Amino acid sequence: MKKVLVLVLLVIVGYFLTDTFNLIPFGENRIGNPQDEQTVAGYYLNNTVEKTSVANTVTAIVVNYRGFDTLGEVTVLFLATTGLGSILFRRKEDEEEIERINKPSSSLMQTGSRVLFPLIALLGIYVFIHGHLTPGGGFQGGAIIATGFLLMLISYKNFKAGHTMLNWVESLAGITFVSIGLWGLLTGGTFLENVLPAGELNNLISGGVIPIIYIAVGFKVAAELTGVLDILLNIKPKK
Amino acid sequence: MEILRYIGYGLLVIGGIFLFLGALGIYRMPDLYNRLQAGTKATTIGAMSAILGVGFIEPAWMVKTIIIVIFIGIANPLSSHALARAAYKAGLKPIMKKKVDAYEKVQDIEVKEEVKL
Repeated sequence: MKKVLVLVLLVIVGYFLTDTFNLIPFGENRIGNPQDEQTVAGYYLNNTVEKTSVANTVTAIVVNYRGFDTLGEVTVLFLATTGLGSILFRRKEDEEEIERINKPSSSLMQTGSRVLFPLIALLGIYVFIHGHLTPGGGFQGGAIIATGFLLMLISYKNFKAGHTMLNWVESLAGITFVSIGLWGLLTGGTFLENVLPAGELNNLISGGVIPIIYIAVGFKVAAELTGVLDILLNIKPKK
Repeated sequence: MEILRYIGYGLLVIGGIFLFLGALGIYRMPDLYNRLQAGTKATTIGAMSAILGVGFIEPAWMVKTIIIVIFIGIANPLSSHALARAAYKAGLKPIMKKKVDAYEKVQDIEVKEEVKL
């Protein structure tokens, strides 16, 4: 009975998938000529610099044109962190093994990572502040900062990434993102409308709300990934 | 400025030679510790020299290349040290003709400090 049910479900899903994909002509150039204003790619390439004065077209698409989608992505990351925190943590029975794993690393490593950590954090912050001017952005900068925290977590076994502070950073960044979106809804008419003046191209303060949102995304991603690393490295004794 | 260009080319060639020797060492050496030391020493000086050479050829990038060189100088030996120490702690014995294990006798200096964010 179960197998028949699975087969029926497979047939239904397969039918609707092929039905949908039949609407799209196979092998056709859907993007079209980038110079042509009528296509999506052409519109983005020809209009982002004038309308948003953001040098990095990818950032303009991710944060402004597809900003709602980015909000969803950040939420997915948050859900993944929550799931990891509730399901995936290591428990060990053997006290000796916990002692062996939790041994601190050598003094050379500890001093070195203390020197490197501020530099890595600085690079991450640079990457997400300049997200609208150079390649990179909130997600990349956040990941770089999380690698710095990983270095500290494996060098100092008693290094605690304070979960209260991480939660605060994450929540404040999320609230900033959503409230900027609502501000756009109230004053401009659509969610995440770019209400601030666009400014001059290639200036640090330009592009309206785009840099603010990307900085918030950077902090959020950094806090989330640090939380994931801390959960995965932490070993709790079995009760 | 022509002289700077030629210094840069010279550094690039030196870096290339060292990187090649590092690759050869990884292929040729018998065990992990020898391979690590060949790989780390040669690639550290090779990468530093090559990147500094780029800085000499393009003087506008000089500051950036110096920062990268300093970063490689800190990070590369550090990671190699961590790898070798982990291998030793995991019980991997080096291949030796004379059984001299100086590290065994050394009291491992361990810093225990409370570090909080």
